[in-house]
Amino acid sequence: MSETTPTEPQQLATEARDRVRFEEEALELADQVYRVARRLVGSREEAEDLMQETYARAFRSWQSYTPGTNLRAWLLRILTNLNIDRGRRKQRAPEMQPLEEGDYFLYNKIEESSREPISEQDAVVERLSQDDVVTALSAVPHDFRDVLVLVDIGDFTYRDAAQILDIPIGTVMSRLHRGRRILKGELADKAVE
Amino acid sequence: MSAYFDPCEKCEEVMQPYLDRALDDAERAQAEAHLADCGYCRKRYRFEESLRVFVRQVCAEEMAPELKQKLAALRTPL
Repeated sequence: MSETTPTEPQQLATEARDRVRFEEEALELADQVYRVARRLVGSREEAEDLMQETYARAFRSWQSYTPGTNLRAWLLRILTNLNIDRGRRKQRAPEMQPLEEGDYFLYNKIEESSREPISEQDAVVERLSQDDVVTALSAVPHDFRDVLVLVDIGDFTYRDAAQILDIPIGTVMSRLHRGRRILKGELADKAVE
Repeated sequence: MSAYFDPCEKCEEVMQPYLDRALDDAERAQAEAHLADCGYCRKRYRFEESLRVFVRQVCAEEMAPELKQKLAALRTPL
């Protein structure tokens, strides 16, 4: 039986080439990964630390990535796990206080607060500042914010978000729904202040 | 105003996955048919959509070039 195993130098060369390619692809995605990371944590410094830890780990364990699968999701999975491991989730899951006003709380509240009915929806949104949104988002509890940031800012599908966070897809949907409601509740407070 | 009246409960259920492009073709057609008929939901849908675009825009923060260099420096030396 003649087995044609590659010689060791060949193997090493192939491995080095694959690794370089992996590293380059991962670095190309860094801007997109950072945009999500920045909103998962409270400060730029934390986001930068988290990015460096993520990339250090990714480069170390690159062989566990399956080529052809979603590399951005793979990187975000490392990042969200590190974020949890580092104990940044000091905030507990919130009590389930109902937002009885429903999902259109923000819209209704802003509309009520204005003298004339708002005909253009953009006018409602334009009353909010960037700071309002960033502050409101940071007030959303972590479990909900993680999903919200992955889907609404990272543009991940429900399925990707479920894999990244290792939770069922139904949980993604319910947390997303609830996270958006909380966000809108926070924004409503700011919009009518 | 004490209580909000929501005339379109069904739309609530469908709106989120519709906006997230997570409905199948039949569900999407159903959602679109409802939106075509219901001015109230159409208005709310547009509001929701514009809010999401706004949130995404204002939350986008670019990475510092120095960080990019630091990440590149983490690569395995050849």
